[in-house]
Amino acid sequence: MVALLEPAVPLAGPAEAVARPVALQWAVRFGTGLGRALAIVVPVGLVSTFVTFALGSFSNSNPAAAVLGDLATPADIARMNHQFGLDQPLLVQYWQWITAALHGDLGTSWFTTIPVADSIKQTLPVDLSLTALAMLIALLLGGAAGIAAALRPGSRFDRAVTALCAIASTVPAFVIGIGLIIVFSVLLPVLPSGGYVPFTENPVQWLRFLILPALALSLDLTADIARQLRNSLVGTLRENFVTGAEVRGLSRRRVVFRHALRNAAGPTLTVLGVRVPQLIGGAVITETLFNLPGMSKLTLDAAAQQDIPVIQGTLLVAITIVLLANVLVNGMLVRLRPQARRRSG
Amino acid sequence: MNTSVGTALSVDTALSVGTAPSVHTAFEKQTPAIGFGRRGFFALGLAAGSAAFLAACGNDSQASVSSGGGKDGGTLKFGWALVTSWDPVTSSAGWDVHALSLVYTGLTKLDEKANAVPALASSWKYNDDGRQVTFTLRPGLTFSDGTALDATAVKKSIERGRDYEKSLIAAQLANIKAVSAPNPTTVVIDLSTPDFQVPNLMAGKSGHVVSPTAFEKDAADLATKPVGHGPFQLTAYVPQAGAKLVRFEKYWDAKNIHLDKFELYPAPEPATAVAAIQSGRLDLAQIPGAQVAAAKAAGLEVQIDPSLVVSVLDVNITKAPFTDPKVALALKYAVDRKAIVDTESFGHATVNYQPFPAGYVGHSTELEDLYAFDPAKAKTLLAEAGHPDGVDLTLTTTVPEGLPEQLQSQLAQSGFRVKIETIPAAQATQIMYIQHSRALAVDQFAGRESPVQAFQVLFGEQGLMNPGRQTSPEIAAAIAKVVATPLDSPDYPVNLQAATAVAVKAQPNVFISSVPRILARRKNVTPVGSYLMAQRFEGVRVS
Amino acid sequence: MTALRRALQLRSARISLGLLVLVLLVGIFGGWLAPQDPLAQNTAAILQGPGSGQWLGTDYLGRDVLSRLIDGTGRSVFGALEAVGVAMLLGIPAGLASVVFGRVFEWVTLRFVDSLMTLPFIIFAVAVAGILGNGPNQAMLTIGVLLSALFYRITRAATLGLTSAQYVEMAELLGASKNWVIRVHVWNKVLPTIAVTTANCLAAALLAVSSLTFLGIGVQPPVSTWGGMLASDLNFLSQRPWAPVIPSLMIILTVAACNALADAIRDTTGVSPTARTGITGPAAGAGSAQGIGPAQGIGPAQAGPAQGASAR
Repeated sequence: MVALLEPAVPLAGPAEAVARPVALQWAVRFGTGLGRALAIVVPVGLVSTFVTFALGSFSNSNPAAAVLGDLATPADIARMNHQFGLDQPLLVQYWQWITAALHGDLGTSWFTTIPVADSIKQTLPVDLSLTALAMLIALLLGGAAGIAAALRPGSRFDRAVTALCAIASTVPAFVIGIGLIIVFSVLLPVLPSGGYVPFTENPVQWLRFLILPALALSLDLTADIARQLRNSLVGTLRENFVTGAEVRGLSRRRVVFRHALRNAAGPTLTVLGVRVPQLIGGAVITETLFNLPGMSKLTLDAAAQQDIPVIQGTLLVAITIVLLANVLVNGMLVRLRPQARRRSG
Repeated sequence: MNTSVGTALSVDTALSVGTAPSVHTAFEKQTPAIGFGRRGFFALGLAAGSAAFLAACGNDSQASVSSGGGKDGGTLKFGWALVTSWDPVTSSAGWDVHALSLVYTGLTKLDEKANAVPALASSWKYNDDGRQVTFTLRPGLTFSDGTALDATAVKKSIERGRDYEKSLIAAQLANIKAVSAPNPTTVVIDLSTPDFQVPNLMAGKSGHVVSPTAFEKDAADLATKPVGHGPFQLTAYVPQAGAKLVRFEKYWDAKNIHLDKFELYPAPEPATAVAAIQSGRLDLAQIPGAQVAAAKAAGLEVQIDPSLVVSVLDVNITKAPFTDPKVALALKYAVDRKAIVDTESFGHATVNYQPFPAGYVGHSTELEDLYAFDPAKAKTLLAEAGHPDGVDLTLTTTVPEGLPEQLQSQLAQSGFRVKIETIPAAQATQIMYIQHSRALAVDQFAGRESPVQAFQVLFGEQGLMNPGRQTSPEIAAAIAKVVATPLDSPDYPVNLQAATAVAVKAQPNVFISSVPRILARRKNVTPVGSYLMAQRFEGVRVS
Repeated sequence: MTALRRALQLRSARISLGLLVLVLLVGIFGGWLAPQDPLAQNTAAILQGPGSGQWLGTDYLGRDVLSRLIDGTGRSVFGALEAVGVAMLLGIPAGLASVVFGRVFEWVTLRFVDSLMTLPFIIFAVAVAGILGNGPNQAMLTIGVLLSALFYRITRAATLGLTSAQYVEMAELLGASKNWVIRVHVWNKVLPTIAVTTANCLAAALLAVSSLTFLGIGVQPPVSTWGGMLASDLNFLSQRPWAPVIPSLMIILTVAACNALADAIRDTTGVSPTARTGITGPAAGAGSAQGIGPAQGIGPAQAGPAQGASAR
């Protein structure tokens, strides 16, 4: 089967690796890696943020109409447009917006005059809480299932896990969310079906509010992790070094947890890392269903009202998170892959 | 007369506005269609589903369930609506009056039947020609910041409402020529033209007294930190999330406020409202008619209170096909209001052909059955107007499910071929009220403190809910008569009801039903008062 | 297509294809198949359970649920098809071209596609719908544009690998033109990959359609859509508690069928299930319950945002 892609990172051969001092080598690799990443991330970021910004210009909403409602005369509209800098060319506006954003100023909402950055500061922790909890659940549940399945490859348990994962991947999160609400808020009224309280205010209540949406959100990721981990682990466990370890008398448990897992972790962590931005920027329906005042909900409401600065601000933050996560993930990939290759070589 | 809403305000910066951007408009309520499902453009809800399944009641309540009464203290968590601004002068939604009434009071307040009764003022008296009204203020009142609430403060507050460049109530106070404070407990208001509606006006946003210390220091701050004199005072506020208030010991009527703390939250999604109350997240909230049975089955108390909210269709008679008045009249007969009430609100609303509900002073009994459902008559009228084969019509709405669908089907029986057009709630003001570009729209009117204000909005030349911008001289004359009639005169109800009758018959607005305020509460909350206008909490206890 | 024929040897593929064909037929002929008029209201009999005339009961305006479900199938399915069609139309030629037209074009399109993939899927579609209008086409076009990034990457990855393959070099040495090589060899190898991606993307687009109609985007009442029915069912759970199951099942089954078909094609044509083709996991990428999964950046040189789409 022909390799279907370009070669990945050109590997340094063993001789070269030893030749230079380790610290310098690491610094050079990090530097080039970072440089390469930046060369990609920066233009991508510019284009996607520009698209986001330009989207607002298609709207026929304007701050005067939004605020003054029916009292807005064309003169008022023109004046407020000038005040908000909306009568300048698009590129100029974009440049002003993006440079201000780098200083933490994302403009103010046309409707509430609350600075967008403040609204995001208030709502982002909700998304982060939800994402963190969902990731934790996915890691624990998915990890356990994946490891257990890999230890008994081909067994009924293994096939059951695979089947469950396949099913879990096809059920939409909002359907799961609805089911959870019916079971845990209606049938057995033990958990609230909506609302939020910050962790700093009341940790127990925080957990009670978040557990259902986190479960709904995490199911797909759990299935992914379970499946990915199982496949990688099964593959790794067949590798020579594992047999070698077992021959040398190490217990299976030790082999699995200390050696095999570390190698199988790579792709799994990639899955995780790649999903994080999805979870943060994309938990729109879950947040709406469970009434969580998160950033996705903020964007939804802003989109309904055509509160353009808020839409632009939240999309910018979401894009930034995605780009950051990608740089991180690719950095991790660079680190993990060469190691994996060298070990099995 | 403080009628025209047409003055263009010149503002320098964006006003502090919350989630509902409309200015005293019909799209005032953040949940457009009470009694049915969805909230605006993006709607989501989950029904409690509790009726069929539930055994136990809520779990983590903050107050234990007991057969209440007699004790003071406790917290009430109310799911209703937050504000567009905590400053009554820059609040852009009429619906804010409910929340604002928690922290502000005017010279008067409205009782259960929406009649003006004493509040900060213990009494008032008009002079003979209705151009001057003298309010006697209660002595020794203070604002929550300690400033004395005397006649001078009231004077400054009223003048601010009238003169402040960003004031959205200026038009309401335009008729006030001067306010004077001859002594600390007397406020004299001089009017340009005779107007006996001032006591009504002073009960709502237009009359809420704001601390001059606060607005002289930093007016913009008031939008998030109100300083007034009310049953409660605000201690914490997170926009779109919630507000926390505590009892204001120095409230003039504090002896009737039995709650220590008050928490105000946005209205729960109509479908999860019952679950929210059950689980203890809220103690009291508005629920749609469809949830009444579920709420009762879940062990909650439900009270169905009449309110001034009315479901109505805005008709623009400058747009086809309504340019012919016969078509507008045909429309009134083409709506099966009873079926709508039964389906939309599960029978809890009341069919109404006029803006005011029964029990309100402006409700005219001669309008019963005025436009009873009669598709045959509607068809005849359409034929007379030159449309024997029916006519095409676009119905504009922000929430397409439910009422618009039902209307579409009903109107078809009379020959109206309706197409439903959905517009986002935020654009509604722009499209409907600025551009007057739609022929027919689904709307709700939430009422005003003064019935004359209501007339202006619904039927006036500059009326927001009169997109055709046309009115008849008979209506103007009838309104003028009302304005010139003292509120306590026996002629007042007569004149007002006559004006209602004239307006309803002359204008194309299609009133469908009076929408009640359906409140579900936990068993440990005593019944709350039934107020046609702003909800008040005197007498409410939580045990 | 040989790829499809080979896949059909698996029973799972046959069942899936059968289901999809059934859904497609219902989508096309729904109007005639529906037992009653999906728009006919009967306000005297709202929210009824299954009865003699209405096998699945009536909704909040007394309309027959089964008829609405059948009638709504077309809208949901063709919405998804529209999105995927747009995605293929934009993505495949761009992906092929990026290999042929030189490094500058390649770099520019790569970065542009990466940008598309950083945009948060559903929110962006919602924002576009809010700004450009709530029609079903606007929403589907947006999703199509965002999905095209996936087709671009897949096509490109598949083509790249092949153009450097030895037998292609041989063919070129023997005098064959690059175009001919692409047409004959590359296309046949690339097609199975595209087929897999198409199936996965169909599943993802269907989920996206359902999610958006659930939120109220692209819904033009009084006509029905699966997501729209699901959302309005939620308002009346106390009267019809099992109602959301039906549209949910339709969504889940169709999505599962698409994914199963994709898996079958992949398994029988040897398209690798791991990161090499740009989709991680068997159905973890496109077609998963959360929408388009990550199209993973391969190596730093090609590292790009791998956010993909999420229909949650």
